[in-house]
Amino acid sequence: MQALDEISRVVTTLENDYVAECIGQDKKIVGYVCSYLPEEILHAADILPYRITGQGCEDTSLADTYLARVNCTFARCCLENALSGRFDFLAGAVFVNGCDHIRRAFENWEAHEKRRPYMYVLPVPHVLTEEATAWYGEEVLAFKQSVENHFGVQISTERLSEAVAIYNETRRLVRRLYDLQAGDNPPLTGVQMLKVLSAATRMPKDRFNQILGDLLEEAAEAEGGKDGKIRLLVAGSIMDDADLVENVEDLGAVVVADTLCMGSRSCWDLTDEKRDPLQALIERYFHHIPCPRMYGHYGERLAFLKEQVERARVDGVILEQIKFCDLHGTDNALLKRDLEKENIPALELERQYGPLADAGRVRTRVQAFLERIGRVR
Amino acid sequence: MSDQDKNAIDRIVELFQMSSSLPEDVDVDLPEVQAFVQTLPEYLQKSFKAGTADPDTRKMSLEFNKGLAVYFNSLQSAREEGKKIAFVPFNFGPEILYAMDMVPVCVEVLTTMAQGLEEGVTEYMDLAVERGLPETMCSTHKGVIGLLEAGQVEKPDLIIDGALGACDPNAKAMEYLSEKFEIPALYLDIPFYSDERALDYYVEGFKKVVANLEDVSGAKLDPDRLREVVEYSNQASEFFFEINDLKRNFPNPVPNYYNQLHVGMKYFMIGTPEAVDFYRIALDVCKDRLRRGAGVTPEEKIRAFFMYTSFYFDPTIYTWLEEEMGVTFLLDIIGCFDFNPIIDTTSVDTMLRGLAEEMMNMPMTRQLKGKWDMPTNWLDDTLFYAKTYNADCCIFSGHLACKQAWGAFKLVSDVVKKELGLPVLRLEGDGWDGRISSMSTIKDQLEEFFATLG
Repeated sequence: MQALDEISRVVTTLENDYVAECIGQDKKIVGYVCSYLPEEILHAADILPYRITGQGCEDTSLADTYLARVNCTFARCCLENALSGRFDFLAGAVFVNGCDHIRRAFENWEAHEKRRPYMYVLPVPHVLTEEATAWYGEEVLAFKQSVENHFGVQISTERLSEAVAIYNETRRLVRRLYDLQAGDNPPLTGVQMLKVLSAATRMPKDRFNQILGDLLEEAAEAEGGKDGKIRLLVAGSIMDDADLVENVEDLGAVVVADTLCMGSRSCWDLTDEKRDPLQALIERYFHHIPCPRMYGHYGERLAFLKEQVERARVDGVILEQIKFCDLHGTDNALLKRDLEKENIPALELERQYGPLADAGRVRTRVQAFLERIGRVR
Repeated sequence: MSDQDKNAIDRIVELFQMSSSLPEDVDVDLPEVQAFVQTLPEYLQKSFKAGTADPDTRKMSLEFNKGLAVYFNSLQSAREEGKKIAFVPFNFGPEILYAMDMVPVCVEVLTTMAQGLEEGVTEYMDLAVERGLPETMCSTHKGVIGLLEAGQVEKPDLIIDGALGACDPNAKAMEYLSEKFEIPALYLDIPFYSDERALDYYVEGFKKVVANLEDVSGAKLDPDRLREVVEYSNQASEFFFEINDLKRNFPNPVPNYYNQLHVGMKYFMIGTPEAVDFYRIALDVCKDRLRRGAGVTPEEKIRAFFMYTSFYFDPTIYTWLEEEMGVTFLLDIIGCFDFNPIIDTTSVDTMLRGLAEEMMNMPMTRQLKGKWDMPTNWLDDTLFYAKTYNADCCIFSGHLACKQAWGAFKLVSDVVKKELGLPVLRLEGDGWDGRISSMSTIKDQLEEFFATLG
């Protein structure tokens, strides 16, 4: 599939062709983390939002000077990339207080000589009350004003509405891809799907939409060749690397669904295009399918996971967590209990991210899990 | 009731009754007293040793034990008396629960107390992990969750989850408890900042918690009862502010072990007359020591500030520092309350706002929300305490579950070294689980460090 090849190229390097194009046109690129950051604001300011990743780092020696071994490997790899200059092409970085690890990664970056000219934290509350929504709204507005002031741009309502429409289109297209994946013979592997999801965060969305449109056409006619394989769903900590899924699929299974923050959780809810775009963004981002950082909403996370299990008719669920990720670790323990209660096989899998990934141990555990599913299938 | 029928709370009550049975003026060096001590579980032997290190420390410890005996009796009889029990984290003040005739249980202190059980608490920590809790979580929560898993502690009626934004493991453990054991939970979000806007947001969240407590307890908040509790809290605050002030003296007249007693009393019993009595006695003792020129023995060589937590699994660390190293344990952040307000008791509204402000200034909430170098955050407080109490060094105990502290430690310590010229020691261990770093290992590292200070 030609479109897939083009998408795959986007994630092979940090400074991909689209980044190079932006640099060539003197267009600003701002890094960000977390699904609670309304990217549309950056897009509307004619800035390319670029999701911070830990991919590409070969060790974490610089980051380990600042963060500790009890900080997760994703945060350490992201910091490593930042401190080693791999994110020097960014004009800024915007973080959310998503978890203890990532907020400290940001602070260490901000205090380092490799800090980017624009460093910003958007604080997000941890409950979904009326007061918290108001607080988040004020913070989003402050963020918008900060972008305008720092970059000397005016973010008009029209530009914001355009951005909302483009991002909604991305979500609709990705959902269509999830629909195809949920079919009997999914056209993409889980690895390919992850590449698509990652590419979406590292290139202009309008261009991504065009390519994804092509991919959907190609995918609809493709021979999947995956019928009869064990179908899995992956849930848990951030996953912008394909190592784990590659391992799983090498063992004869296919990952057809997920509830990852960069995956289905980021595309299931659309922004209301009929409302004032800023208010609609506040509502959409704060109340999208909740991350485990949002307290008192475990039931919603479980319900969403079960919905995905059913629609993709999976044989089992891999609940992965990056070591020291307490947010997903505790949720995964509960999810495993509740899935198994309903006879949905679930594997809790602790893993490392990036160069520290422990592939051998993971393979052994996944192999045993697949054998278990195979016996009852 | 046979031993087999006794749960952890019954057994902790017995331990306090037993420790209170010794006459106040008994000679602790008598062979029969020592023989009695030998029959106690290991942690209690150490507590006994630390609590009777000298007559002054002993006086404070006795008052502490009397207060805690009252507390545990009330916890034991709560069900019979129709009182609701609420589990709270250490950064949620218990006053509002006392005011509503509920019994608060600070989960971190409960794990500390459970170390006194014959079997200790580590097997319960392991049980919690065996039943699903990630092993990277905090040992204080593993302990309580394990006690619940084993049926050693009854399910509370309610959980208040109050660490949202300051500590992921703490907040998630409480949510996990709620989901796993089907216990209703209330959530109190901590804002990122420390300004008036943040306080207003936090106050609103706290008021919602109070409204929900009324539903749970079935009682309306009685302004007079709230005032009574807040006045007890204010009195106790005045006393421990004064005790902290005394620490500025050379030598520091406050016995090291006071710090551990202070943490237990503040988190379990603030807002009760027993806490007022404890702090009054402790202040009298410390003033008397100041008058006598008494400090650590034989002389105060080093004044150490523990810039986050201490080690709570072996109380002899306090006496060892005092007697063998000549080191004053000035304070640890977990026992720092210098910014607590004296609460205005004019109306329910002023009292609720005051209690919320108190909690916004509680350890961990104050220092570890937001960014490390924001006003009133960890850096500010470390500099403040090190300077105010004339510390010679800072020590980071490196509690493994505190990922947010680990992630900012280097940033803070670099500034401390640069601005104050103080050496900083970074340890690695677990405040409640001596299997991670044993006390002998910790003491070796501390001793080497102190030797470098000259």
